[in-house]
Amino acid sequence: MKEPSEEAFNPVDISEQDVVEAMKRIAGYIDITPGDFKEVYQTAYSLAITRLLDSLTAGNIMSTPVSCVQQEMALVDAAHLLAEKQISGGPVVDRDGRVVGVVSEKDFLKEMGFGETPSFMQIATHCLNSKSCMIGRLRHRTVGDIMTRPPITADSAMTIGAISTLFAKRQINRLPIIDADGRPVGIVTRTDLAHSFHDLLARPKP
Amino acid sequence: MNYLQKMKGGGQSPPRVGLTEVLWSWIGSFTGLAAVSFIHYKLLDQTGLMLIIGSFGASAVLIYGAIRSPLAQPRNLLGGHVLSAIIGVTTFKLLGGQPWLAAAIAVSTSIAIMHLTGTLHPPGGATALIAVIGGESVHNLGYLYVLMPTALGAIVMLIIALIINNIPKNRKYPEFWF
Repeated sequence: MKEPSEEAFNPVDISEQDVVEAMKRIAGYIDITPGDFKEVYQTAYSLAITRLLDSLTAGNIMSTPVSCVQQEMALVDAAHLLAEKQISGGPVVDRDGRVVGVVSEKDFLKEMGFGETPSFMQIATHCLNSKSCMIGRLRHRTVGDIMTRPPITADSAMTIGAISTLFAKRQINRLPIIDADGRPVGIVTRTDLAHSFHDLLARPKP
Repeated sequence: MNYLQKMKGGGQSPPRVGLTEVLWSWIGSFTGLAAVSFIHYKLLDQTGLMLIIGSFGASAVLIYGAIRSPLAQPRNLLGGHVLSAIIGVTTFKLLGGQPWLAAAIAVSTSIAIMHLTGTLHPPGGATALIAVIGGESVHNLGYLYVLMPTALGAIVMLIIALIINNIPKNRKYPEFWF
């Protein structure tokens, strides 16, 4: 997975020529050099981007309630639960209800022996070519055995800018949001994040 | 960027304005200067009072020729002239015996005060300088120089700017008052 480069967050690169053209279209003498205007524009633009990225927090965009799986739950039951809820993963909680890990399809596939970056096509190829399916390996194991830990979590005040960075840097797809006691209050998935950016861009122009 | 490289510049000048802008600049400055100099020469000539000083020529460039400029707004026009006039007269009264020093102090101090008060108006520097180098007719006015010609003249120029600059559809003055 490729991390977004720093340049991706730079302002639309207007040229001094663009500024000159714009100044020509505005009647009257504007006493700023195109170079200075460009500098003002770029600084203001990055401030606006920061303000946008800070304007929404995990608490605003997270999905609630969050479906958790118990640490001691058998993998078969966990798979059944995820299938029923139509989700591909979720936080794992201990008996006190604290988040101790995260489990997702990826963890199941890794456990089945498909390496660090498993995919459905690998499984399809494997199962079509051999009579035994590796799914058997999942029997007699619990969620606690295969979950990813320690969990990457955040509190509800984390901004969407920081969440995006975290998703990209840690290559994760979901972020359990926890309260001060470590109990899950919601979850931010890549889908939630995409929706939040869509909503930001759809805001009416002033 | 090192010291000498800075001297190369490297940026570019803003585009030249259109002919209508040139025309309205001409009409505004003609009318503005006509108003103050008519009062000065036709009405005040025999009284020893005055309404025109050289720095109004510079103000005209801004308030009729570059009307969007922050330096051309009423706050700057009036504030810059009046504060600079006070500093100019005071400097002459204190340091008039050393005109070279008084001239330098008057201009540099007025720039500093205009900066500090958010009233930077380049012609203000000239208003301060004229208070020092303006000769007997100016020196005799004392602090009256602040009110007349400076404040009153600037007000007349401002009224003309309000009248003329707002006639064309795509011109608007001021951007802000204070």
